Amino acid sequence: MGKPQRISLKEAGNLIQDGDMLSFSGFTIWRRPMALIYELVRQGKKDLHLFEVNGGTHTEVLAGAGAVKMWESCWVGHELYGKLGEGIARGQVEGTILIEDYSHAQVVARLLAGAYGLPFFPTALSMGTDILNPKYDMLGKAGLRDGSNPKIPLKKYDTIQDPMYDMGELLLMPAANANWALVYASQVGDEGTVRVLGQTYVDQEVIKAADKVIVIAEEIVPDSYLRQEPEKNIAPGYAIDYVIECPWGAHPTGSQFFYDVDADFIRQFYAASKSKEAYDKWAAEWVFGVDSHEEYIQKLGVNRLENLRANSVLGYSTTMKRGSR
Amino acid sequence: MTKEYAKNYKPIDLLAVAAAREVNDGDVVFAGTGLPMLAIALAQLTNAPEAACIYEAGSIDGRPIDLPTSVGDSRCAYQSSMAAGLTEAFYGQLHCGYVDLAFLGGAEIDKYGNVNTTVVGDYAAPSKRFTGSGGNPDINSLAKRTVFIMVQEKRRFKENVDYITSPGWRLPKWPSGEMVSRQEIYGKFFKGGPSAVITNMGVFRFDENGEIYLDTVHPGFTAEQVKENCLFDLNISRCKGETEPPTVQDIDLLYNTVDPEGIFLP
Repeated sequence: MGKPQRISLKEAGNLIQDGDMLSFSGFTIWRRPMALIYELVRQGKKDLHLFEVNGGTHTEVLAGAGAVKMWESCWVGHELYGKLGEGIARGQVEGTILIEDYSHAQVVARLLAGAYGLPFFPTALSMGTDILNPKYDMLGKAGLRDGSNPKIPLKKYDTIQDPMYDMGELLLMPAANANWALVYASQVGDEGTVRVLGQTYVDQEVIKAADKVIVIAEEIVPDSYLRQEPEKNIAPGYAIDYVIECPWGAHPTGSQFFYDVDADFIRQFYAASKSKEAYDKWAAEWVFGVDSHEEYIQKLGVNRLENLRANSVLGYSTTMKRGSR
Repeated sequence: MTKEYAKNYKPIDLLAVAAAREVNDGDVVFAGTGLPMLAIALAQLTNAPEAACIYEAGSIDGRPIDLPTSVGDSRCAYQSSMAAGLTEAFYGQLHCGYVDLAFLGGAEIDKYGNVNTTVVGDYAAPSKRFTGSGGNPDINSLAKRTVFIMVQEKRRFKENVDYITSPGWRLPKWPSGEMVSRQEIYGKFFKGGPSAVITNMGVFRFDENGEIYLDTVHPGFTAEQVKENCLFDLNISRCKGETEPPTVQDIDLLYNTVDPEGIFLP
């Protein structure tokens, strides 16, 4: 406990072991810890177990690199800039990635249980769907629900008859407690208090549910500043283990009040994600072709970044061209 | 005042307008990305000024002045009553029962309104994967009404979908998989279900047995043509005529106020 430790991206990458279970801040193509994701690919991580409400560009960067063994989630894509998660899809069709599908709110239920220290959380959402078809319990079919991996629950889900108000049958979703939460946050105090600007997504639950938390911060600010409006903060410093100051660390995903989503960059990545060869070529340029986050930012260039910069009042770029007009 | 209907419009314009007309004034609407965003924005400017919109990333009753490109977009949260998160959207708003109308999409649908957005083929060895469920089945579970907006293609309107991602009116009860009514699955949690499907060819609704039927056909198509674009035997006996076309005002609002940048309406 106490204050989080300041480390470098390379040191953060070294902390993650092959086979670890990871969860992430953000939502699809917003506030993803991209700089750290690139570092994991550079370090050649393997067999990662991803647990997330939805996947996005970060998921696909890891999947394309062959770093993912298991993916428990409900959705993956790049929103308007790439309609599918090609790497995850290829992994499922070819049988190289083990996929466990839940619904959005069922994954949230698993994170809520994990965050609040409960073994499960009840929900009445998405009943009567094939998500609950016993034939489609993929981790169970792979023999992984025998208790030998402490990060995999003994059941995909269970049902219960409401014993309190006789509401009938509902679902129990098992807690998810990842080894690591990899978080990108807008502002982190020098004592570790965390603030995100805009929608909070499921960042608070991801932080609480994980064994250890690494935060890459757009900026590190005096804790006294964040403590003037404590209602805007999502986690105390003692919940955070490691912090890295990393401007533009969410690029190409967006960060409210700092920068918008880099649509062109994601479109190009999406095109590259459709085959192993194209992905490798893309990674050779944007991941292995730069030795550090600073080099990556330099390569992007000032003009590109200025175009993405958010209007400080509205929170998003008002200069970038978004559509056909 | 008599309505002046637009003479020139694209199929996507009619989709957005027909969807907007499904919104009742005062509805709490939970909407997905794309056409649903156009529909709720247009409805708020026309027939439903008091409607409120929730997006699944956590913006509650936002008043965007620039069209969002995704539900996680900062633009969704502009002037919202709460810029919250997923737990608030799905449990604080949806599960507790505030949501009147869900606006969702789908890749495949069957005659009971079961929708697939997960895989083509057997789930255990699929030939193609789509994006996955997202919040689609959750929102559809406990909204009082769900409107699906889809592309009309024969292969997408199937007797049985390959995977039930989002629940319609007849559903498998696990672990046996016996098909039962939606009311039986949801019990006291039941609030409603799929109420309409809007495609580029027509507007469909569901009868007392939860079976889909053609309600109106879009101008330029016949009911028979719609039936030919379904793999199941579509009931067209209740078709009451043509879908009301967009008005001149609808088109003006869509292109000049809702999506002036040409994001979803190029």
